[in-house]
Amino acid sequence: MSALLDVRNLRVTFGGTAAVRGASLTVEKGETHCLVGESGCGKSVTALALMGLLARGGKREADALSFAGQDIRNLGERDMSRLRGDRMAMIVQEPMTSLNPADTVGSQLTEVLRRHRGASRAQAVDRAAELLGRVGITAPGLRLGQYPHQLSGGLRQRVMIAMALMCDPELLIADEPTTALDVTVQAQILRLLAELQAEFGLGILLITHDLGVVARIADRVSVMYAGEVVESAPTAELFAAPQHPYTRGLLTCVPVPGKVKRGEPLGSIPGVVPRIPPGFVGCSFRDRCAYAHAACKHDIPRQHAGPDHEALCTLPPGWTDRAAA
Amino acid sequence: MSDIPAIEVRGLRRVFDVRQGLFAKPRQVVAVDDVSFSVPAGSVLGIVGESGCGKTTLARMILGLLPPSSGDVLIDGQRLGDLDRRARARLIQPVFQDPFSSLNPRRRVRDIVAMPLVAQGNIAGDEVKRRVGEALERVGLSAEQGSRYPSQLSGGQRQRVAIARALVLRPRIVVCDEPTSALDVSVQAQILNLLAELRKDLGLTYLFISHNLAVVEHVASEVAVMYLGRIVERNESEALFAHPQHPYTRALLDSVLTPEPGLGVPDVGLGDTMPDPANIPPGCRFHPRCPLAFERCSHETPKLTPNEAGFVECLLAEE
Amino acid sequence: MSVTVVPGTGAARRLLRNIGFVVGATIVGVTLIVAILAPWITPYDPFAVDLVHRLVPPSFMEDGTPANFLGTDQLGRDYLSRLIYGARISMIIGIATVITSGIIGTTLGILGGFYGGRMDDVVMFLITARLSIPVVLVALAVAGLLGSSFILVILVLGLLLWDRFAVVARSTTMQIRTLDYVSAAWCAGSSQASVLLREILPNIATHLAVVATLEMALAILLEAALSFLGLGVPAPLPSWGLMIAEAKEYMFFTPWVILVPGIALFVLVLGVNLLGDALRDLLGTDLNR
Ligand SMILES: Nc1ncnc2c1ncn2[C@@H]1O[C@H](COP(=O)(O)OP(=O)(O)OP(=O)(O)O)[C@@H](O)[C@H]1O
Ligand SMILES: Nc1ncnc2c1ncn2[C@@H]1O[C@H](COP(=O)(O)OP(=O)(O)OP(=O)(O)O)[C@@H](O)[C@H]1O
Ligand SMILES: [Mg+2]
Ligand SMILES: [Mg+2]
Repeated sequence: MSALLDVRNLRVTFGGTAAVRGASLTVEKGETHCLVGESGCGKSVTALALMGLLARGGKREADALSFAGQDIRNLGERDMSRLRGDRMAMIVQEPMTSLNPADTVGSQLTEVLRRHRGASRAQAVDRAAELLGRVGITAPGLRLGQYPHQLSGGLRQRVMIAMALMCDPELLIADEPTTALDVTVQAQILRLLAELQAEFGLGILLITHDLGVVARIADRVSVMYAGEVVESAPTAELFAAPQHPYTRGLLTCVPVPGKVKRGEPLGSIPGVVPRIPPGFVGCSFRDRCAYAHAACKHDIPRQHAGPDHEALCTLPPGWTDRAAA
Repeated sequence: MSDIPAIEVRGLRRVFDVRQGLFAKPRQVVAVDDVSFSVPAGSVLGIVGESGCGKTTLARMILGLLPPSSGDVLIDGQRLGDLDRRARARLIQPVFQDPFSSLNPRRRVRDIVAMPLVAQGNIAGDEVKRRVGEALERVGLSAEQGSRYPSQLSGGQRQRVAIARALVLRPRIVVCDEPTSALDVSVQAQILNLLAELRKDLGLTYLFISHNLAVVEHVASEVAVMYLGRIVERNESEALFAHPQHPYTRALLDSVLTPEPGLGVPDVGLGDTMPDPANIPPGCRFHPRCPLAFERCSHETPKLTPNEAGFVECLLAEE
Repeated sequence: MSVTVVPGTGAARRLLRNIGFVVGATIVGVTLIVAILAPWITPYDPFAVDLVHRLVPPSFMEDGTPANFLGTDQLGRDYLSRLIYGARISMIIGIATVITSGIIGTTLGILGGFYGGRMDDVVMFLITARLSIPVVLVALAVAGLLGSSFILVILVLGLLLWDRFAVVARSTTMQIRTLDYVSAAWCAGSSQASVLLREILPNIATHLAVVATLEMALAILLEAALSFLGLGVPAPLPSWGLMIAEAKEYMFFTPWVILVPGIALFVLVLGVNLLGDALRDLLGTDLNR
């Protein structure tokens, strides 16, 4: 059986600039695939491209792009919008701007179900209230009648999550869904997603920068850098033996209680994500990489560090062990 | 440094009326309930707490964006209401959470950063230009990026713009409402390092709101824990993280997801019923979710019990 | 406004919209230039009566003369010259009405949306009150009382067509008022005027531009209708509506006298509407990005 979502060599360009330069990933039914990477590396653009929601001027190309066995590359806007919000749902990154400020939370939530499923108003309201309860919002009746600006950031984000789940999607693309949530609620939402996965086999593509979340819930992690997936591995393997120097850098940036002293600077990756000019060859991380050498200016091989562990780097697989030894 | 606290808040309370329908009686949401604290100049007070517990409401009242229902805010010893808008802007500035909605999409970055200077009304054009350039450089943005529109920047870059805007006037106090929670780890590290460096160089005082406990532990000298509109525990950062006293603080600390694969998501026993600010439980407001609650908690309101540098509001601690 | 997410696919539709933009802009642009240059490009004086050459057909029809490209009307006035001057009147009416009603409506809408509370109640009341006034009846009454004149048409339309501006300005202002960048402007010490003018107005401007095109088309049509009824621009000014009215007696024998101003009116209104639609589509996303 093919994967729920299969993306091969996705490329997205805005005018002349490439925002995504070859991202491949798969999400199986019931799997959580996490996409991590620095700001501006193209995670959101990847997600939007998958949903067919790129901003004007964005061009999408891919060697393969299929959802539940169906090629969605050339699907028309009508068919796409029938899938969106129904079988594949997305929680977008900006909860404030993606809720309509002039409409109550309740009518926006019920809209989704009524449009896709032709549910009656009462049914839709029931469903909305149930989901708000499940994402940890008490007094759903009160919240349904409120406008987005009357909710706190965390409440808004939970409303977005509830909205994405209204139609029991098969695939959920969640772009930083728990960033505005405190830890206890985050834990609750993550448990809810896990439940849905166990119940309905929901496939999740989770974009996050919280490596704590990644470590705890991901089955698989892809690390993106400058529009490319530079490393992809099962979670435990990625944390135990990161291959790409960028992945290693990321792992040092996290303030871990007890590990980094207060007042001392955190580990950070110097420099910023570079602009990648058209026709760029070689490793896009080389200017920030402590291990860069001459070979990094040429085509980079995709190396296997394990059966399911790939990295886009010139360093030999397992170099970290040897470096440690 | 003077003895006057940079921020002092006395008995602050804010109630929102929420209309449910056209004719239904409005319900009252108590977002902030009788909160008092002070922040000494040059220190960092971290505020943590559940989403919806009133952190942003508190910050907005301190910034003068929202009138309190009752209570006072004193900035640098002066009542907020007595300061005119320009003087207030020179004292206290915000950095908001959402770098997408905190920058005007129709203005260029350098005009956004120049806004506080222009609003002062008495700073010459050249001077404005020079200080904007300085501020942009300070936060690590190039002059070329100054002439872009916010939509042409990434989240981290936008947050740098917001920080530059907050710092051009060289204020004494910066209120950071979850400044890094929309950013990825490496940018978060850069922004936190930037904020720490700026604080050292410019002697700033921060009110630092975040729900990321690891971040708060890293930056704050003191921490206040909010629950349902009240501060339930306050202490020095080290003490609070080493031995949390309030059961809610403990639950918070236990919910932190450290990057250790395979451990799964912990269930700290708070249950799935979230608090309803329109319907605050009697007695201790945390008791319906508290794993340690006992009979007295449901009718007896706990008093403040002092600890090392602050207090805790729990019946268990009173004993 | 919700995020008008524009799909990455559907390039054909986007192109079509752009064609709408090109066509609309061309029509409006050409009409505007013609209107401005009217005194220099008209072949004849549009008021010059020549009773000898009455109802001469256009030059491309049978019996037409090359001297009068679009023929002459029932008083022998050159039809092309009158049409060109008519464009001038339509454009002046359209633009002046939009400016007047835009200023009134936007001001009211922003005040209501920005201050809320009592102020908003007043604005809502005014909008409701305005919506219950029938434009044509008021124009009738005014013309009956004060006689018809060019200025009066502008005033009546300008003072009556502001409701859509007010509604749109009010709701968009309400939405933008709560955004963080407006909060940041307050914290920066900006004055109310500067928050309104620099933070809010530019962000609702695109919405207003769309309303403006709709209102302009409406104003042009209304003026033609009023003139047709004899309540708008007084003769002998060559308003297109008036030309249609004057032509209606002859339309069975010389249909072109009514077709020429009719088509001109149709094309101009179509152009303005195309422009508005294209503007909405092109600017809609930018607003939120
Ligand atoms: N509409 C657009 N037009 C032009 N460039 C764009 C557009 N949207 C995104 N980009 C560019 O694409 C790149 C990737 O952006 P993207 O939003 O995917 O980053 P991200 O990985 O989601 O970052 P973050 O963690 O900040 O959300 C950026 O360099 C950005 O400037
Ligand atoms: N304008 C308003 N009208 C009505 N209720 C409001 C308004 N603003 C905030 N509230 C309510 O006040 C409470 C506290 O909100 P606040 O935004 O301060 O929470 P917060 O602690 O900042 O949460 P988060 O971490 O999610 O940002 C919430 O219940 C919210 O619904
Ligand atoms: Mg993103
Ligand atoms: Mg908040």
